[in-house]
Amino acid sequence: MKKDTIDWNAIKERIKKAEEAASGRPGSLSPAETLEKRARALAVPSGPAHGEAGEEGVRAVVFTLGGERFAIESVYMAEVALSTEIVPVPCTPEFVLGIVRLRGDIISVIDLRKFFELPEKGLSDMTRLLVLSNGEMRFGVLADTVEGVEEIRMEELKKLPTLSGVRGEYLAGVSVKGMTVLDGGKLLADRSIIINEMAD
Amino acid sequence: MSWFQDLSTRAKLFCGFGLVIFFLAVVIVAAIRNVTSMGETRDEIFYHEFANTTDVLTMKGKLESARVGLFTMIAADGRTEQEARRAMIKEVNSSIDSLFRILYDRNRDEPEITRLVEELERTYADYRDARDRQLLPLVYSGKKDEAMSMAMGVQADRYAKMASLVSDLEGVMKTKALGHISVSSAEASRYVTLFIVLGLAAIIISGFVALTLNRFIAAPLREISDAAARVASGDLTVNIRSLGRKDETGVLSETFARMVERLKKQTIDLSEAISVLASSSNEIAATTSELASGTEQTAIAVSETTTTVEEVKQTANVSSQKAKHVSEIALGAAQVSQNGTRLVKETLEGIGNIKEQVEYIAGTIIKLAEHNQAIGEIIAAVDDIAEQANLLAVNASIEASKAGEHGKGFMIVAQEIKSMSELSKQATKQVRSILNDIQKSSSAAVLATERGSKAVEATVRQSSGTGETIQKLAGSINEASQAVIQIAASSQQQLIGMDQVAVAMNSIKQATTQNAASTKQVEITIRNLQELGSRLKEMVRHYRV
Repeated sequence: MKKDTIDWNAIKERIKKAEEAASGRPGSLSPAETLEKRARALAVPSGPAHGEAGEEGVRAVVFTLGGERFAIESVYMAEVALSTEIVPVPCTPEFVLGIVRLRGDIISVIDLRKFFELPEKGLSDMTRLLVLSNGEMRFGVLADTVEGVEEIRMEELKKLPTLSGVRGEYLAGVSVKGMTVLDGGKLLADRSIIINEMAD
Repeated sequence: MSWFQDLSTRAKLFCGFGLVIFFLAVVIVAAIRNVTSMGETRDEIFYHEFANTTDVLTMKGKLESARVGLFTMIAADGRTEQEARRAMIKEVNSSIDSLFRILYDRNRDEPEITRLVEELERTYADYRDARDRQLLPLVYSGKKDEAMSMAMGVQADRYAKMASLVSDLEGVMKTKALGHISVSSAEASRYVTLFIVLGLAAIIISGFVALTLNRFIAAPLREISDAAARVASGDLTVNIRSLGRKDETGVLSETFARMVERLKKQTIDLSEAISVLASSSNEIAATTSELASGTEQTAIAVSETTTTVEEVKQTANVSSQKAKHVSEIALGAAQVSQNGTRLVKETLEGIGNIKEQVEYIAGTIIKLAEHNQAIGEIIAAVDDIAEQANLLAVNASIEASKAGEHGKGFMIVAQEIKSMSELSKQATKQVRSILNDIQKSSSAAVLATERGSKAVEATVRQSSGTGETIQKLAGSINEASQAVIQIAASSQQQLIGMDQVAVAMNSIKQATTQNAASTKQVEITIRNLQELGSRLKEMVRHYRV
């Protein structure tokens, strides 16, 4: 019976605390916690990619696709958007997923995994659309997430011999952190990406 | 001798004893005669010789005393004293005179004695004369010496003569007495001889009579008594010879024979009867023994039963008390069940309240869930905004990087915005997870409330069931208490009945005890009877028939 009796006072106390917390009044978090949180928030941008080494490095947008990290120089990056409805286009190579509408423009969308004939492992929602552009060529690639812009030292990149086959020429190398850096210029300059309008 | 045989025993005895009596009479007559003659002789001796002698001796004494009296008189001084002496002498003289007359009278037939007595009388007369006429006057005149000399002189001579005469008389008398005695003893010896002869004759005749009587009475009697002894020792096979006589002995022997015959027959009958008696008594003893053991067992059984009845009585008592107790308890239980019914009603009301409360709680929780949902939608919107902000930040940083050195400051702002958007994204994630938890908790709470509500409903059902059950229980308890009251009454009656049974069992027990005692008595009696039978058997066995 003792177990069944409810300590209504304790419950009332707890509800009062919760109400206080919900109303955003001080006391919901301890001062130490607040300070630590702020410190951490300020600590994030001051990473090593953001330090004095900025002069020699190249800025690149880092994104993930199928569990792997990729990077493309931000020079070739027009913008990042949420992928909306992709309309499939017939008579296109397999890696071309279709076209999307972005602020009045029609942009073709490429699946990098198919382009590089990478094995499709891991879950992938491909909710991000990265729009590449070099002035004359403009297309989008899908990514799972966009991590942000990072500094990459090009001289530290290693060439992967295994990927030198099919589309090896589009790979700039693999960074120390295991991130695949793509050569955006070559990708934009590739003819095979250009869709032949005279296909039929 | 046949005629003698046929004489009756009385006649025989008369004959035999008559003969003996006759001889006895002869002896008696002879003896009487002898004793008479002896008595005469003795009388002669006593009345003549002995009396004579006595008288002579007396006379001698008297003379002596007269003489002494004279001397005393002479010696005496006073007249009175002399007179006294004189009187005494006179008295002595008169007695001497009477003695003389006696002697004369007695010895008239005895000339010798008469002569001597006459001479003595004469001498005495001389002596007396001389004394009275000469001597006494001398004495009176006081002439003592003369008187003395005369007394010592003439008178002494006369006295001596008298003394010698007395001695002669004594001698004669003695001689006479001796003669008489010798005659008497001769006669006695003659009678002794006669007695011997007569006695011998009497003994011989008596012996003859005895032998004859023995032969004719005692011998057959002995024969019969021998037979009787054998009969006494149990031998009934004796054969009594018929004497063929008409006297008592013959009659006796015939009667005895008949008696033995009769006794034999009776003994046989008796023996059979005793056999029957012995076997019957044996059977009775066995039966009585069985009966006794049976009675004993009955007594034991009755005793056990009495004990059991006592115990049952105790039990009945206990059960009666218990029943009373139970009826009280039942009454209490009825009360309790009524209370229970009331309490169940109250409980039902309370549970109804609880049900309402639970429903209210459920509604509140559902509202909470709906609010949660709204919060979730809001959070989704916030998430979306954060995403957009993130993308905007990325784009801004791209643009900043394109701007080169000029976009550096903008680049930092873009980075800040990006990190803020990430923070808000994390916050929304946390909120979402919290909301998720709240959703789960409220679902669980709803479920729990539902279960509680169901439990309450079940409790309501159960409580109504309980109420009905308690109602039924109350009814049952009422019935039970009625039954218990009846049981109490019954057990009271049972107790009374058991009391009566106990009393009856006690009576039976007493009766059984008496029975057992009586049976024991009967057994003892039967044993005695049995013993008697066997003794009789033993006794009869001694008889040879």
